[in-house]
Amino acid sequence: MASKISLNLIKKQAQKDIEKGRDLKELNDVFKRYLGKQGQLTLLLHSLEKLPKEKKAKVGKTVNELKGLLKIAFDKKSLEIKQKIQKEAEEKEWIDVTIPGKKPVFGHLHPLTLARRKVEEIFQAMGFTVAEGPEMETAWYNFDALNIPKDHPARDMWDTFWLKNGSLLRTHTSPVQARYMEKNNPPLRIIVPGSVFRHEATDSSHEFQLFQVEGLMVDKTISVANLKAVIGEFFRRFFEKDVKFRLKPDYFPFTEPSFDIGISCLVCGGKGCPACKRTGWMEVAGAGMVHPNVFKNSGLIPRDWQGWAFGFGLERLTMLKYKIDDIRLFRSGDLKFLKQF
Amino acid sequence: MRFAEVEEIKKEGKDFTLNMDIKPSRASDCFSHLGIAREIAALLNLKYAVPDAKLVENKKTKSKELVSIEVKNKAACPRYTARVVTDIKVGSSPKWLRERLVSCGLRPINSVVDIANYVMLETGQPLHAFDADKLEGRKIIVRFAKDREKIITLDGQKFDLDSSVLVIADGKKPVAIAGIKGGKLPEIDRKTKVIVLESANFYPQIVRKSSRKLNIRTDASLRFEHGIDPNLTEFAADRAAFLVQKIAGGKVAQGLVDVYPKRIGPRTIKLDLDFAERLLGIKIPEREARNILESLGFKTKALNQKILSVEAPTRRLDVSIPEDLIEEIGRIHGYDKIPSLFPVSSLIPAKKNLKVFWENMVKDILKEAGFAEVYSYSFFGKKEATLFGHKEKELIEVENPLSQEYRYLRASLIPNLLKNVEKNFRDFQQIKIFELGKVFRSPSLEKRHLAGLILGGEFQYLKGTIDLLLEKLGLNEVWYDEYRPTPEDSKQFIWYPKKCAEIKIGSEEIGFLGEISPKILDNLAIKGKAVLFDIDFEKLSELSSEEHEYRPVSRFPSATRDIAILVPRDVKVAQVLNKIHDSGKKLIRDVDLFDIYEGEELPQDKKNLAFHIIYQAEDRTLSSEEIDRVQGDIIKNLEEEPEWQVRK
Repeated sequence: MASKISLNLIKKQAQKDIEKGRDLKELNDVFKRYLGKQGQLTLLLHSLEKLPKEKKAKVGKTVNELKGLLKIAFDKKSLEIKQKIQKEAEEKEWIDVTIPGKKPVFGHLHPLTLARRKVEEIFQAMGFTVAEGPEMETAWYNFDALNIPKDHPARDMWDTFWLKNGSLLRTHTSPVQARYMEKNNPPLRIIVPGSVFRHEATDSSHEFQLFQVEGLMVDKTISVANLKAVIGEFFRRFFEKDVKFRLKPDYFPFTEPSFDIGISCLVCGGKGCPACKRTGWMEVAGAGMVHPNVFKNSGLIPRDWQGWAFGFGLERLTMLKYKIDDIRLFRSGDLKFLKQF
Repeated sequence: MRFAEVEEIKKEGKDFTLNMDIKPSRASDCFSHLGIAREIAALLNLKYAVPDAKLVENKKTKSKELVSIEVKNKAACPRYTARVVTDIKVGSSPKWLRERLVSCGLRPINSVVDIANYVMLETGQPLHAFDADKLEGRKIIVRFAKDREKIITLDGQKFDLDSSVLVIADGKKPVAIAGIKGGKLPEIDRKTKVIVLESANFYPQIVRKSSRKLNIRTDASLRFEHGIDPNLTEFAADRAAFLVQKIAGGKVAQGLVDVYPKRIGPRTIKLDLDFAERLLGIKIPEREARNILESLGFKTKALNQKILSVEAPTRRLDVSIPEDLIEEIGRIHGYDKIPSLFPVSSLIPAKKNLKVFWENMVKDILKEAGFAEVYSYSFFGKKEATLFGHKEKELIEVENPLSQEYRYLRASLIPNLLKNVEKNFRDFQQIKIFELGKVFRSPSLEKRHLAGLILGGEFQYLKGTIDLLLEKLGLNEVWYDEYRPTPEDSKQFIWYPKKCAEIKIGSEEIGFLGEISPKILDNLAIKGKAVLFDIDFEKLSELSSEEHEYRPVSRFPSATRDIAILVPRDVKVAQVLNKIHDSGKKLIRDVDLFDIYEGEELPQDKKNLAFHIIYQAEDRTLSSEEIDRVQGDIIKNLEEEPEWQVRK
């Protein structure tokens, strides 16, 4: 039968054409010529419509087998060409991996924000709530409620900015102790981060505006031993090393007993160096057991409750953590400084 | 470690001086060498020697006959003690005395004055010496000054007094400001023969007030304003008279003149040892507690097994409640011996502080958008106030500013942000910074604001940043209104006219956005163009919401058609967008402005806007016929405007 011979011819020719294809475009043209919508085999299948049913089935089967055969040949050739192209490309193209990378532009959080978050995270994990209070304060909350009477030399411990509207800029975050205890009954555990202001000349270790964190824990039997445990845990987590600390007697009108908290010098590890004035220790916080008068002034009955409070300057801890040598950098707005964080 | 810090040790010849930081609570007993010796003796379990004050009195003359003392106000002067020494010869002090004074920072003057100062250093009791012959009527009267009275002090300064200032007067006039400084009139000189040595106790607050008012601070006023034990005067007077006799010769008249109407006795405090244990977190045995207190001069008595009755020496003005005694026991026992014990407490979860939560969220978003956070001072000066159009009556002024630069509390974050730019713009091509902090307005408003700035940035970009920020805070209904300032509105001065907008959420204005006026940049010597935003953070955090609802993604394909339209230049994009949405209704998922063009090829006063319109239905695949029909409606609707022309 003529159709059988022509099928054989088509097959041979097609195989030859596929083999000759030099690139993907040529190969695609060959594909179209045989298997495309107007391709030879497609047309052949269409022409079978007129044949009797039996014959149609027989020839149709042969044509479809051929189609399958050719498809496999095409795929094989196509893969061959692609591999060849890829191989050539791999020989030619290269990337100079020493060209500096292009960084996506990211912003920066202020180091005090980073430190503050760390402090909050550590204390929140120990059940402390973050509380806040106003920066513009009354003399009552800043002094009197904290057992610092008017015309008392203890007021000289805090050089104060007074405002013409009759208030003052808080000199510490301690006023929030009284404000919080007025509104919340013990047991309570809070930390109070916030800005405080001191009327004093600035140098590399003194600022007139500072960021302080206050802590307060009040319950039935809260002791100095508990203060040591909590503050020790805080130092270890904040500095991410086993920091030693100690309590020394100090004086604050709103705590009794009062302590100065020092940590072993982070520069020399306690051996003594210029950074710690050769003492091996660095003062970082003040603390003490809440004075009964503070409870009284906050509307609590002193004998019912006991607790401790502490306060530290966040700048100082941040300076120790990141080895920053000038406190004035924090509010300098210097991007060369800020972009390092 | 258990008492006070030695700040500095200095070698002085064969001896040493220690510079110690004594806390104000211990001023009453430790602003003196004797006090420190007492403390060290207690700490090291040593004995200390009290300086010699054994007088040989001259029985022939009685002090009371040589000088009369009257205290008018007993509350202001609880005790006035004096010794009288006759037949003295004033000269220079011996070398040892002069050296000791100099090493403590005092200037030697003459033997009598030097002795008074020296005994003050020794005992903590300030003393003053008068030349008795220069006192009118040989009288000493402690009283408040009369208005318009004056005094010339030893150093030649003249002060006007008033009735709040306590003075020592003779028969006629003030001869010393009580507890602060002596007057010139009864000054000791080389001819002085008879002296009155004053050793008195004055009420702390009165000395402090006068010292502030007259702006005189002395070694005496420092000690008096902290409070001194009234029982100290006697010993100090005797010790001084003893030294005068030894060094300047003379005879000590018989008897101490002493006006002490209300004797102050020791205070007794009950100490519950269980309470001490509860507060310190460590048990200190009764024996040890009592030993510690007794070594410090307290007297103890056990009332029962748990309660001590403790009598505090009168010099310890700082000790009045059980906690004060617990501090003494704790510090001497050693705070280092107290263990670290975690509190046993009910498990109360920490409350979430929403204010802090939104602050953190906003800071993180702006950081991710490439902004650097800055902290500025909460102050600004007159210059900024004027430049940024803040009226004086809106501002809170600082009574005692550090400098004119910090005269007011800042009423806005913008001035300090721009000052930061001024510091940085030479080093960076683009500056993107923000600050979240308090601003202050008269009479007593304090609230948080959020402000940010891009130097060398476009309005549209900053607006996009705000859009992103507000979207992340769960805020819908965000829109931007052209800002039309009222004539008296001060804000108009800082923005570039017609290049600023109000940021609104629903009907509430929460802040501003725009380009800063070049006038201001020129004034601050900033080169470039700055776009800024300023948002009321209290309003923002109130409106923000963590709730976020998932919107189902349509399973059906979307199709994009473009529209380009030529409109007059003053037409706003929002007008065109509204029209597109009006006719597109629910089938439009999004409209995206991808080009704005104003150029030579276009008719004058026209601009070309080009949009991608994205069509999608939630329930079916849209046929191209349906999309064509909607697109046709949109075009028709747009072209109803007389000068609008859709380009085909």
